[in-house]
Amino acid sequence: MPEPSEPRADTTSGGQSRRFTPAAPSGLRRLWRALSKRPDAGHIGVGLLVGLLGFAAVVQVRVDQDDALANARRDDLVQILDGLRRQSERLDDQVAELEADRRDLVSGANTEAEALAQAQERARTTGILAGTAPATGPGIIMTITDPDRRVSSVLMYRAILELRDAGAEAIQITGEGNDSAVRVVLDTYFLGPEDGAMIIGGEKVEPPYTIVAIGDPGVLSGAMSFTQGVVASIEDQNADATVTEYNELTIDVLHEPEEPQYAHPAPEDEDD
Amino acid sequence: MIPLLGLVLGVLAGFIFDVSVPLELQPYLPIAIVAALDAVFGGVRAVMEGIFNDKVFVVSFIANVLIAAFIVFLGDQLGVGSQLSTAVIVVLGIRIFTNVATIRRHVFHA
Repeated sequence: MPEPSEPRADTTSGGQSRRFTPAAPSGLRRLWRALSKRPDAGHIGVGLLVGLLGFAAVVQVRVDQDDALANARRDDLVQILDGLRRQSERLDDQVAELEADRRDLVSGANTEAEALAQAQERARTTGILAGTAPATGPGIIMTITDPDRRVSSVLMYRAILELRDAGAEAIQITGEGNDSAVRVVLDTYFLGPEDGAMIIGGEKVEPPYTIVAIGDPGVLSGAMSFTQGVVASIEDQNADATVTEYNELTIDVLHEPEEPQYAHPAPEDEDD
Repeated sequence: MIPLLGLVLGVLAGFIFDVSVPLELQPYLPIAIVAALDAVFGGVRAVMEGIFNDKVFVVSFIANVLIAAFIVFLGDQLGVGSQLSTAVIVVLGIRIFTNVATIRRHVFHA
């Protein structure tokens, strides 16, 4: 050290030109010599500090990359915080809204499931009425033996009407003669007999007939067998009619519904 | 030799260890870094002029860092933190430029 007592160069900004004289050795050589000379114990502190500087700089740079807030002043931070709080309030509102929506949707789904169950129940009931679903329950079986084939379609229709009057909910006619069966529904028609077979709903049915009706067995059999009733009229035609009551019957012949050609469902009222 | 080694080791340590700066130190660390940078450039210049003294360097380094941080802290307390830190950065920047200019003259003789 040629001038150890002189104050450090970096603390004085003046006098550069005075000190900058082409002195030998030059600055670069001095730097190189300082770098390559034998390590000095006093340089450990310098190395520590410089290492600390490098470490801190890298950490700071990485923090800056991570987080732009690190450099912000307190006022900026307060503003940013304020903005964030407003944003969080907005988001809270949004969350509440969405949760309400979700609740509505969940309860709506429950309502929907209930409506679905009701619709299915209605479909079952309608299916029984329309003959598209099998039906089971108490009822009667009326067997008509008609050896002379004199029981007319009118008489058969009357029997069905009487059964409906008596509250029959599902009716099926089986022709034992040709092993045919018809589910009697609203649009079932009766023709004949022609060639010894009655046409019921487009199906040829040959006697003996078996009419299965589901309803109150007592009422149904009463409707058949009253004086001058169906049974008496059938017996007038030299045929034989027997009515048997059952606690459990099953009607499993199904009616194939046809798409209505002219009638369409009328639109429901909006406020319904 | 040792300072260069220290610098390399410090930078490596900064990359290896994921250290998060404590919240209270966050406003001061950049200023402290600039102050330390000023001290380092001053040290390099002193080496080139042949007047380097490690004791002086250590003291000036620590003093620079502490004074810069203290000025910013004071500014924060007075409510002029951002202005004062700008002032400190400007002053330190000028000093760094002066030191680097001297180093440049030593290196390039121009």
